[in-house]
Amino acid sequence: MTRLWRSYLLMLKWQALSSRTILPLSLVVQIMIAVGFIIGIGFFYPNMTTETAKFLTTGAPTITLLMVGLVMVPQMVAMQRSAGSFDYFWSLPVPRLVYVAADATIWTLMSLPGVIVSLLLGAFYFDFSLELSWLAIPAMLLISVTGVFMGYVIAHSAPKPEMASLATQIIVFLIMLFSPVMYPPEQLPGWLEKIHTVFPVLYMADLSRGTLSDLPVHLGRAFAVVGAWFVFGLAVTTLLVRRRR
Amino acid sequence: MSPGPDERVALQVSDLCKSYPKNPLVNDHVSITLGEGEIFGLLGPNGAGKTTLVSQIIGLVKPDSGSIVIGGVDTIAHPDHARQACSFQAQTQVPISGLTAKQAIELVGRVRGGSVKQVRARAGELLAQLEMEDWASKMADTFSGGMRRLVAFCMAAVVPGRIVILDEPTNDIDPARRRLLWDQVRGLVDQGSAVLLVTHNVLEAERAVDRLAIINKGSVVGTGTPASLKGDNRQSMRLELVLEPRGEVPQLPAFLEGPVVTGRRIMGRIAERDVAEAVQWSAALREQGAAEEYAVGPVTLEDVYLAAVGHEDAGSLDREEVAE
Repeated sequence: MTRLWRSYLLMLKWQALSSRTILPLSLVVQIMIAVGFIIGIGFFYPNMTTETAKFLTTGAPTITLLMVGLVMVPQMVAMQRSAGSFDYFWSLPVPRLVYVAADATIWTLMSLPGVIVSLLLGAFYFDFSLELSWLAIPAMLLISVTGVFMGYVIAHSAPKPEMASLATQIIVFLIMLFSPVMYPPEQLPGWLEKIHTVFPVLYMADLSRGTLSDLPVHLGRAFAVVGAWFVFGLAVTTLLVRRRR
Repeated sequence: MSPGPDERVALQVSDLCKSYPKNPLVNDHVSITLGEGEIFGLLGPNGAGKTTLVSQIIGLVKPDSGSIVIGGVDTIAHPDHARQACSFQAQTQVPISGLTAKQAIELVGRVRGGSVKQVRARAGELLAQLEMEDWASKMADTFSGGMRRLVAFCMAAVVPGRIVILDEPTNDIDPARRRLLWDQVRGLVDQGSAVLLVTHNVLEAERAVDRLAIINKGSVVGTGTPASLKGDNRQSMRLELVLEPRGEVPQLPAFLEGPVVTGRRIMGRIAERDVAEAVQWSAALREQGAAEEYAVGPVTLEDVYLAAVGHEDAGSLDREEVAE
């Protein structure tokens, strides 16, 4: 265990140092997106009620975390695959899942500022108060890590790295327009609503709403479904990173 | 095949085969034995299957058949052992953006189990010996290809494994630092590691290795010490002739064995008793204006290499590097 922990901390340091060149830019982009999102969403709903504002603002962390996990992670992994970085990391005496865990930690830490800024700004701009539960911490972690693992699955299962980058373009579109995060699932056509009873996105949004506001949400079910996707993502990621060509 | 002066075996690769759907038999029944404390060269033209072989040794690629044993452990079944036992300098660039040279070297040293104090001292020593101290605290993003490669070497050498695998370690590195690098490679062996050196630079390999295998089109086509490989030839001398630009290849005499023509150069082996005749023949060609210059000397590893990999593949040999 000590050896694993030591490897994890060293890989964490490696990843943190590697990302320090993009960190300032990433912060600026995240804050711009958060501000843009809160102000922009108001144009969709000219007669915004407090309930709607609360619904949208507390759903925003899911969007932010999924954008990181399903878009930024696959793109970064695709770049690293093209550059042969994994051949080097995989040759080190570090269990590959420890490397992935360190990577997931960095991505989670990097997405936190965006999550916090959008929440605070939304509450301030639309003038409502957040109802923070201590469960918000495990909920955010679960959403983020599940997203990162799903990103890993996309990036490592694509036959060619460039395909993963292309897939992310479609994913952005699907999450923004066809996922019930920014509107209730009842507004979707029946078949799409059914699909979302199995997919994790709706439940991720439930997790963030249920732990950040007083909106009525079935938290237990949300934790169970997203937890199941977490286990699935972890299992497939393990298989993918441990395979030998 | 004997493992060299030290009888203990560090790495035993037997009958290794690897094919890909679009690339059959990248490795075709490859067998090599690396003794402890020796520098073993793996020589071959581009695409000969050297990097695929190395990828199997460190457990990135799974062989179709054959065995790999490191220090008595079957590493096809236990790839974790391979990663612990081998430290590796890849042919591709290492992922060190955002890190300084010193941070990168120390981090790998710590990952490989070294203590903070130990890796700090060793990193300092390597940077000093390779005259890289001015770069120690600079970010790797600003480094040239050669400097990145030197950092990659230090990363493989900071806490060396039982086996240190160096894949084209001197590419892009200036001649003065190449010498320093070879001193460090020798130093690794003195510390008890075995070194597997993958290269297509024959001249450097001849100076650096204790033993070598020549690999071509996936198969090992010769193994031994540089001297024994050269001694296999009954013909112990060589003739090299450089033709005039656009000159035609003349009728080659019978005493010139295994002639290889690359561009304007003709190389072949000759027996010692034919030296006088060879000089006469070459001098005559020069007088006629057909040849620019010629040289007669003892057989080099390059001659053995070119004869082994054949004429067409020899074309991929980097002439400038060999001439260095």
